[in-house]
Amino acid sequence: MDLFGSFALLLAFLCGIYAFCAGIAAIRTRKPLLIKSARHAGMAVCVLVWIGFASLAYLFFTDNFSMAYVVEHSNRTLATFFKFPAIWAGQEGSLLFWSFLLSIYVFSALFAYRKKHPELMPYVGVVLAGIQLFFLTLNNFIASPFKVMGMAGPGGVLQWVSRGDGQGLNPLLQYPEMIIHPPVLYSGYTGFSIPFAFALAALLGRYPGEKWIHLTRRWTMIAWGFQSAGILLGAHWAYAVLGWGGYWSWDPVENASLMPWLTGTAFLHSVMMQEKRGMMRVWNVWLVFTTFLLTILGTTLTRTGLVSSVHAFAQSDIGPWFFGFIGLGFVVCLVAFWKNRDYLRSDNSLDSLVSRESSFLFNNLILLVAVVAVLSGTLFPVLSEWVRGTKISVGAPFFNRVNLPIGLFLLFLTGVGPLLAWRKTSMASLRRNFGGPLAIGVVAGGVSVALGLRNFYVILCVILSVFVTLTILLEFYRGARVISARSGSNLLFSAGTLTMRNTRRYGGYIVHFGIVLIFIGISGTAFNQDKQMEMPVGAQMDIGPYHLTHQAFDTTQETNYSTEKATIAVDRDGQQMIMLYPEHRFYPSNQESGTMVAIYSTLKEDLYVVYAGRSPDTNQPVIHAYLNPLVKWIWLGGAIVILGTLLALMPNQQPSFALRTTEGRVPVPGSPAMAPISVSRYESPHE
Amino acid sequence: MGPGNLFSRLAPVLALGAILLSVSLAQGQSSDRAKQVGSKMVCMCGCGQVLTECNHIDCPVGPVMLKKVDQRISSGESDDLLLQSFIQEYGEQVLAEPPAHGFNLVAWLIPGIAFGAGLALVIVVIRQWRNRTVRRDLAPASGPPISAELLERGRHQADRETDD
Repeated sequence: MDLFGSFALLLAFLCGIYAFCAGIAAIRTRKPLLIKSARHAGMAVCVLVWIGFASLAYLFFTDNFSMAYVVEHSNRTLATFFKFPAIWAGQEGSLLFWSFLLSIYVFSALFAYRKKHPELMPYVGVVLAGIQLFFLTLNNFIASPFKVMGMAGPGGVLQWVSRGDGQGLNPLLQYPEMIIHPPVLYSGYTGFSIPFAFALAALLGRYPGEKWIHLTRRWTMIAWGFQSAGILLGAHWAYAVLGWGGYWSWDPVENASLMPWLTGTAFLHSVMMQEKRGMMRVWNVWLVFTTFLLTILGTTLTRTGLVSSVHAFAQSDIGPWFFGFIGLGFVVCLVAFWKNRDYLRSDNSLDSLVSRESSFLFNNLILLVAVVAVLSGTLFPVLSEWVRGTKISVGAPFFNRVNLPIGLFLLFLTGVGPLLAWRKTSMASLRRNFGGPLAIGVVAGGVSVALGLRNFYVILCVILSVFVTLTILLEFYRGARVISARSGSNLLFSAGTLTMRNTRRYGGYIVHFGIVLIFIGISGTAFNQDKQMEMPVGAQMDIGPYHLTHQAFDTTQETNYSTEKATIAVDRDGQQMIMLYPEHRFYPSNQESGTMVAIYSTLKEDLYVVYAGRSPDTNQPVIHAYLNPLVKWIWLGGAIVILGTLLALMPNQQPSFALRTTEGRVPVPGSPAMAPISVSRYESPHE
Repeated sequence: MGPGNLFSRLAPVLALGAILLSVSLAQGQSSDRAKQVGSKMVCMCGCGQVLTECNHIDCPVGPVMLKKVDQRISSGESDDLLLQSFIQEYGEQVLAEPPAHGFNLVAWLIPGIAFGAGLALVIVVIRQWRNRTVRRDLAPASGPPISAELLERGRHQADRETDD
């Protein structure tokens, strides 16, 4: 199976070369047969990559310890469940996994548009084949997962050997979330290749109009949705596994996933300017280019060890290849842009400063400033070492200080932007749309001060969260009221109808509401508490309203690890709430340890209990308890963001015709009483 | 027993009580201060996490550093002196954020410069777009009267432009 897999990858590489070259020839000659042939080769690359990946999976599930990669990342007692994360636990497997996910996107795009856009698709095929070729080069020649174990035999002849067992999987990856977090995040990273390919193809082929924007909208949203979900799953994994009581530490790898998300978010907003008004063509093309290049930079940071990270599970000297690819990609984008810049010329004009267009400009500005802040902070230690010869640290305090005001300004724009009309918004409309929500937001801020809140940013977050939530609710209410008045259905049903009639707009509002919840959750960090103490059995600890009693301490031997587990009874106001079981696991196969945090989560707060090992002085168990307010709101907000994204991906429902009858009268065809009642689309008053 | 005698007999007890109280207060203070000072440093085990947040199982460095912080606070060192002693031992890398002076100031200035430059760009762009609109509005209307078909197309465009 190892030969089968490596042969499939080699064949995929050759097909990739053909797809790339034949694609270029097809663009030049315009021969339909050549176009078809290049497309088929592109699709064959994908199928061969799937075969290669399936072969690697087979090697893991059959415990084939003649393969070096399997030996390094699995062992016989590893639960079948965790053989999946083992596949992408190391450099070689994760690069093949990247190729695998990319090939799903590529195949889908080539297949979906096989009979459409004949002018554009050959270019798209060439760009995608180019990206695939880069990863297939790594898969075949730089970081092949199909290397066999070998040793020098008699006469110095290399002999294949098979180990009895493997070294096992990193304990940090032996957590259920690790089965879905990397695939979801990688789907986000790889998904941005599609809008990139279409943007570059449209530029190279001077494809007329905004068609490429329409074609890639859903692809971009899918990639963005995966990236959002992947980031949140990663944050949840860090929270539940790393045991330091937090979910985001501004680690370089976390930052690497955030940066393309930020530029992708900017693109999803600014692209509307191009769709509606034909504006910002140059900007949008560069946003897509930047997003794609940042996804590659992200994986570069993860793998090269350029900056140190707790999340970097696969480091090697593969860096020059990635930097070369980023450099080459940038040069290609720059040359394509320079040669075709006249194609991107647009007749930008702005009727009013107070308009949707302006709000998008500011939204993009703030998102890009956030990217610069995160990127510069992440790479500053490298810059400092290069310039001064001294390495410095840029940790969470720096990023929090810089990004907090940026985030809150974005939250403000989240509320303001959607309610501004395209072209021009009158002052009366501003007052009508914002007056009430802003006043109530300020009152909420005042109430929170009266209740004892003193943190400026938290108070601002309360005001903005209330303001944005109310503006969103008002939008739904106004639209639903119109439909309700026309159809006679209740407001809730009408709100559903409204959403389904313009899924993109109202799905977007739902995403915004999810973001508000995430901000509320993050603001809870200001009130975190923690306590650590030695707790022999019978010892007690108070944290916030909770009373913890260490009831029992067990040591057990499981198949793949041994565990020390504390049993903690949690009381509140004299009533027993729950039993928590924080664990410390030891994996003998790779001589590594891991924690299993115990969390009692409510909407108000999380009681987060870590068994931190034994005290070196007394050998007694040490318990570290945290009280983290509002964390659940972050996961709830994340779920709503994904729900909103899914809604926005759905096609709009067409309004149905119904007859409105006047009570006691028979409708006469052609009479005013026989009017289509839900044909008229709801328009915001300001529109 | 006179008051002097009573005082002399109670003095050792009071002294012991005072010492215990001061030690316990100092421990309470040092714990809070240790957290505060610890949050200004990173764990030097290579994880890059803030010292008070590094919770790696069997981390060989973090607990040692935290113990040193506690000890130095107990011996009455000021925060600045304590941080300086850690910088001397581990280098500037021990600080969780770059100090805002010298070359490190660049790290703090970059986001501000990016915002300023971006804002200036947005203002220039808006001005250009506004000028273009004014020129367009001032241009005399010419050409044939608008046909019904063109008007309908315009309506459709307006409809499309305002549906999100």
